[in-house]
Amino acid sequence: MKRYTLLILLSFAALTMTAQTQNEQWFEQANAAYNAGNYDSAMMFYEQILATDVESVPLYYNMGNAYYKMREYPMAIYCYEKALKLDPSNDDVRTNLEIANLAIVDKIEPVPQSFIVKGWNGLKHKLSGDEWAYVSIGAFALLLVAVYLFLRGRRTGWRKLGFFGGIVVFIVLALSVLFAAQLKQAASKQDQAIVMNPTVTVKSSPNEASIDLFVLHEGTKVTLLDEADGWNKIKIANGSVGWLQADFMRRF
Amino acid sequence: MSLWAQDDDPTLTVSTKRQVMVGERFQVVFEANFEGKHFNAPSFEGFNVLGGPFTSSSSSVQIVNGSVTRSTKNTYTFALQAAQEGTYRIGSASLTVKGNKVSSEPFEIKVIPDDGSYAASSGNTNGNTSSQGQTQNTSDPQVSGKDLFLKVIPSKKSVYVGEQLTLTYKLYTKVPVSSLSVSKSPSYAGFWTKDISDNNGGNLRQSSEYVNGVEYTTAEIQRIVLVPQRSGTLPLEPMSIECVAQIRTQGNSRQSNDPFDIFFNDPFFNRNITNVRKELSCNSLSLEVKNLPENGKPASFAGAVGNYNFKSDIDKTELKTNEAFTLTLTVTGTGNIELLKMPEPTFPPDFEVYDPKIITTTNNTANGLSGTKKAEYLVIPRRAGSFNLTPVEFSYFNPSTGSYASLTSETYSIQVEKGAAGESDEGSIFASNQEGIKYLGSDIRHIMTGNPKLKSTGTTFFATPGYFVALLALLLTFIVLLLVSKKREELKQDNAANRNRKATKVARGRLKKAEQYLKVKDQDKFYVEMSQALWGYIADKLGIERSKLSMDTVSETMKGKNVPDDLTQQFIDTLNSCEFARFAPGSAEEKMDDLYRRGIEVITKAEKVL
Repeated sequence: MKRYTLLILLSFAALTMTAQTQNEQWFEQANAAYNAGNYDSAMMFYEQILATDVESVPLYYNMGNAYYKMREYPMAIYCYEKALKLDPSNDDVRTNLEIANLAIVDKIEPVPQSFIVKGWNGLKHKLSGDEWAYVSIGAFALLLVAVYLFLRGRRTGWRKLGFFGGIVVFIVLALSVLFAAQLKQAASKQDQAIVMNPTVTVKSSPNEASIDLFVLHEGTKVTLLDEADGWNKIKIANGSVGWLQADFMRRF
Repeated sequence: MSLWAQDDDPTLTVSTKRQVMVGERFQVVFEANFEGKHFNAPSFEGFNVLGGPFTSSSSSVQIVNGSVTRSTKNTYTFALQAAQEGTYRIGSASLTVKGNKVSSEPFEIKVIPDDGSYAASSGNTNGNTSSQGQTQNTSDPQVSGKDLFLKVIPSKKSVYVGEQLTLTYKLYTKVPVSSLSVSKSPSYAGFWTKDISDNNGGNLRQSSEYVNGVEYTTAEIQRIVLVPQRSGTLPLEPMSIECVAQIRTQGNSRQSNDPFDIFFNDPFFNRNITNVRKELSCNSLSLEVKNLPENGKPASFAGAVGNYNFKSDIDKTELKTNEAFTLTLTVTGTGNIELLKMPEPTFPPDFEVYDPKIITTTNNTANGLSGTKKAEYLVIPRRAGSFNLTPVEFSYFNPSTGSYASLTSETYSIQVEKGAAGESDEGSIFASNQEGIKYLGSDIRHIMTGNPKLKSTGTTFFATPGYFVALLALLLTFIVLLLVSKKREELKQDNAANRNRKATKVARGRLKKAEQYLKVKDQDKFYVEMSQALWGYIADKLGIERSKLSMDTVSETMKGKNVPDDLTQQFIDTLNSCEFARFAPGSAEEKMDDLYRRGIEVITKAEKVL
């Protein structure tokens, strides 16, 4: 029994290994094509990798770059946003997203965030979700060390260190768990979308006959609030809310 | 030919066409053979009066066989245009002479429908000819489309966007034609145009040409270069021209017996040539305009279509700072040189570049436009150094091969030496030559290379089984460690307590043995037991491991346990003397007694404290 398990595990590992190396080869070929200016063929390779049901920040980022170079700004923005969901801390992705956002029609003044929310989000976006998860494990380990010191310290100094260090580490642990949970939820929720049609009209209700509220153009990011038979209730960065057909957008 | 009366009978006659077509322009002439006053015109109902009355008068004196005839002629001419079909009666005109009113005969004019090939007769007058032709030429002389037509000839019917083609408007005629004028010029929507007609002093170039075996005289009306600006099937509106065709009428309808008539009707005298105004339109035409192929389009392509040559020239490559050099880029070839966009060279940022001087010279040839475009850049390097001018690439689409071509200018390497130090540079020691960084462009950041760090879609580490396993593993390790350490301590504490508890007992046992040895005077064994009793007791009591047992540890530990110093000293002394006696045998018995007594004493004392 044990031998079989081992065998299965080994073959599985081999399979994933070959898939991995194949993808890595494709990735290299795609990057070479990108460097040569053949954005079309680079995109083909990236899509091939994506089709094997894998993802990563470099993959989405490079796809975004290729789309940008092909002047398909909505798709470029979509890819950058996907990359940011995986790793909100990535500076390259943020920079390129900002540049791509300059190339689209709609310029929306975002609702100013409060100092606390800004600080909270700033801290949260310092690391990716996985990194916060690792931090939480590290913090947990440190907390246990602190508890051990507090309980078993021979000298009062050690015990003091255990107590106060424990409090600090506990705060770190709580924050990291909270951040990791929030980021995981944000990544799995798919509650944002990019407008893909060149011009769309946002309606007052999920009904073609309802009143036109405002017009959006391709590449604009919206937050999805609600759904109703093929329509989505959306909110744009300046806080305006309306209904838009789901077909006009690409969720992420 | 003159109809007017030779005698003095005052008459007012009218001459005009009796049958006109709708829209036709014609004249009505009232002629009086006397000097009259108060001309009273009839109302030309049913006609548009375009002008009139235009009056003219002439008088002549004839002397025939000695008899003198004086004749006067006054004409009143109206220009009319027939407005509607029907027969219209025109009343009489009247003129007063010497108190008498002379009237003309009223007459009728029949207006017939336009027969389609309407040619407005311009009064069908040729001097006197028609003034008497009241009844002749009732049907308008016709010029068939075969005798006179306008044709447009494109040099190509299918072109690329930006490719030039020439349109030639040609008049084909078998009859003499005069006073040509363009009545309607096409608008050429979607094209850039340039008229390259060869106007040598207003005369049209004539030649003869056979069309279906028939010889025509051709004249080039207009030659125009078109450059399509968008793709698709672009229709060209036809051009219309107006001209006067001179037509020989086939004999005179009224056979005149007048020998003069016969004489003057001779074709040689052009007597019966009629001028017919004719409006001609050329065939309509549409051009197929293809988009330039996307395939292989170079990055530097800026819309140039044609066949070009590209070269660059520089006047000097070695100079000092603040001196100028000129870079000249020249494009020569056939194509739309006027709209050509010159490639723009990039200069090192420390070069000051002025807007280029662009000189365009074009030649209009029968095949279209060609010429030269020159861009002269005046450049002043502001910093010393060695610079390379990146070559400029000029791309064009060659429609004859259907492919793109790129031409590259030369690479120039420019040596700039430091010139005479500028006044500003020397002004102050503190003047810094530093400059801020010049940003030359902005772009997105480059792609990430190396490990793509791929993982399955939608996997996050947080709150996965792996995550919890890691936490659990940590917790378990912690608990195990805690338990182990606790157990260990317990064990250790147990050990120490045991030893503490048993210490007195053991020491007592050892002392008893030592007492026995003392009694039998076995020195060696006595000292061994004594030493072991003391060491063992203190080790057990203080919880010191045997391996770490020494005088120092004992004294230190005792100090740590707040044992009075004198007792510690006493204990150490006893130990010392015991050790000393043990390794230096041969001492007296009382010494052994004394040691035994001291041993019991320190142990008893220690027992109280510890």
